[in-house]
Amino acid sequence: MRTFMRILSAEQIKMSRSYIWVLLLVSPAISVVIGALADVTEGTTGGITWQILLGVMAMAHSMLFLPVLSGIFAALICRSEHSDGGWKQLLALPVTRGTVYLAKFAMIMLLLAAVQLLFLGALLGVGLFRGAEGAVPWGKLAASLFGGWFACLPLAALQLAVSQRWTSFGAPLALNVSLTIPNMLVANSADYGPYYPWLQPMLAMSPMSYYGDETFGAFNLPLASLMIVVTGSLVLFLAAGFISFRRKAV
Amino acid sequence: MNETVIKTSDLRKVYRGRAAVEHLNLNIGRGEIYGFLGPNGAGKTTTIRMLLGLIKPTSGNIEVFGRELRSHKLDILRKVGSLVESPSYYGHLTAVENLEAIRRIIGVPKGRIAEVLDIVSLTGEEKRPVKGFSLGMKQRLGIAAALLGGPELLILDEPTNGLDPSGIQEIRSLIKRLPAEQGITVLVSSHLLSEVEQMADTVGIIRQGQMVYQDSIAHLQQQAAGDLRLALSEPEAALDLAKRRGCGGELREGRLILPRMNDARVALLVKELVENGHAVYRVEEHRQSLEEFFLQVVEGGAS
Repeated sequence: MRTFMRILSAEQIKMSRSYIWVLLLVSPAISVVIGALADVTEGTTGGITWQILLGVMAMAHSMLFLPVLSGIFAALICRSEHSDGGWKQLLALPVTRGTVYLAKFAMIMLLLAAVQLLFLGALLGVGLFRGAEGAVPWGKLAASLFGGWFACLPLAALQLAVSQRWTSFGAPLALNVSLTIPNMLVANSADYGPYYPWLQPMLAMSPMSYYGDETFGAFNLPLASLMIVVTGSLVLFLAAGFISFRRKAV
Repeated sequence: MNETVIKTSDLRKVYRGRAAVEHLNLNIGRGEIYGFLGPNGAGKTTTIRMLLGLIKPTSGNIEVFGRELRSHKLDILRKVGSLVESPSYYGHLTAVENLEAIRRIIGVPKGRIAEVLDIVSLTGEEKRPVKGFSLGMKQRLGIAAALLGGPELLILDEPTNGLDPSGIQEIRSLIKRLPAEQGITVLVSSHLLSEVEQMADTVGIIRQGQMVYQDSIAHLQQQAAGDLRLALSEPEAALDLAKRRGCGGELREGRLILPRMNDARVALLVKELVENGHAVYRVEEHRQSLEEFFLQVVEGGAS
C-alpha cells in the first residue's frame, strides 16, 4: 500500500508540466455552454429544473467526453513511459508490476473523478445562474456523477491495457474513439444498449425521466443491471491488462 | 571474504527460437568492477535486463546478493541502481523533477537529489527540461538516477555510449571511484575493449550469447602479452637448454616459444644457443595486442 501511494505520487510529478490539466476542463467548459444556451423550457409551464439541466448538460459529457477522456488519460499516462525508456527505469525500481499497474489505473480514475467534480461545479454554476427551480437535488446529482465515473472503470481498464501494450500514442486513441462513436446509435437500441460498455457512462448519468417516455431505447434500465455490465467488463479488461503487463518484456 | 554479488547459472533466453543468451555463468564479486564486454548484439543488454527482472529468463538461475532473484526481487532491486541501454527520462520534466519522480518511489531523503546531481556534475542544469539536454547530459542524469538510492550494486549498460571524450573520461573516473569510496560493486557493459580495460578489474567476454572468457584484466593482459619465437636447427635440444636457464617455454610447430623476457636475457640465451652449436635462423617477438586477443576471442578462435 505504501508503494502504491508512492507510485501515485510519482505519477503526479510526471503529469506536471503536461497538458493533462487542460483536458480536465474541456468537458465541463463545453457543458457550461450547452447548459447556458439550451432551450429546455419549451412545452413546460414552469422554469428550468435541476433534473432537466442535468440531462441536457450530461448528454455530450457522458456519451462522448467521459469515454474519450478515459482513453486519452490512459494513453497519456503510458506515453511518458513509452517515449524515452520510462518503463525499464520504473520497473527496475523496487516495485511490483501489479502495484505499478494499479497505480496507473488509479491515476486515470482520479483524473476522471476530477472531471466529474468540475462538471458538478459547472452544473451548479449554470443552475444557479439560470435560477433552476427548487433545492439542489444533491442525492440525485451525486448518484449521477458517481454512476458516470463508475461506468468509466471498464473503459479506463481496457484503454490502459492497450496503451501499455502499444507503443503508439494514436492507436489506442483511435480504438477508443471508434468504440465511442457508435454510442449515438447504440443508445437508441434497447437490445444492445444495455450491454455496450461505452454507453454505460451515459446510461448511468442521465436522469431517467429526461425523455419522458421511460421505455425509450436503453434508458429504462435499472441501475443494478448497468452495474453488472460495468463490473463484468471491468473485471475482464482489468485482468487482461494486468496479466499482459506482468508478462511484458521491458 | 570475496563474497559473490551476482551469480548466474546456465542462464538462457530464447527469442523466437533464437537463443540470445545461452549457458551464461556470470560471477561477480563484491567491490569489483566487472566489465561485461562483447560486440553489439552479443546479448549484453538481454543479460542485464534479466538481472533486473525486466525480462524473464527462458531457463537458468540468477542469484544476486546470494538470494534468488525470482523470489526476492524487491529486496534485491532495493539495493540495485541501473541504467539500461539508452538513458530513460521524462523529457518534459527538469532533471530535478525526473529524479524526484524516482525518489518518491524509493523513498530516500530529498537532499540525495542534489548529491547525485553533484556526483555526475549536472549541478546548474537541474532546472531545465531534460528534452533539451545533450545525450551526454541525459546519460549522466541516468547515472544520477541509478545512484539515487545509494545502491550496493550498480548496473550500467554502455554508460559512455554517445559521450564526448571528456564525458567518457568523467564517467570512467566516476565509475572507478565508486567501489573504493562507497564499496559499490559495478557491472559495466561495453563493446569497447579499451574502455573496459581502463575501468574493470574483471572482464567477461560474451559472444553470440555465450560467455567465452571470464577472468581478471591482469590475466587477460598476460595472455595477450605475446612471446618470443625462435626458429633453430635443433629445437628440442634448445628447449632443454632454455629450461635449464630457467626460461620455461615450449615447442610449437617446430619453433621454440618462450615467454617474454628482457633484452639482456634474450641476448644471453641466443649467445649460449649459438655457443652450443645451434643454428639460430630467426628470433622474433610476437606481440598480440589486447585488441587482437579480444577479436580472436570474439571471433571464436580462442582456446
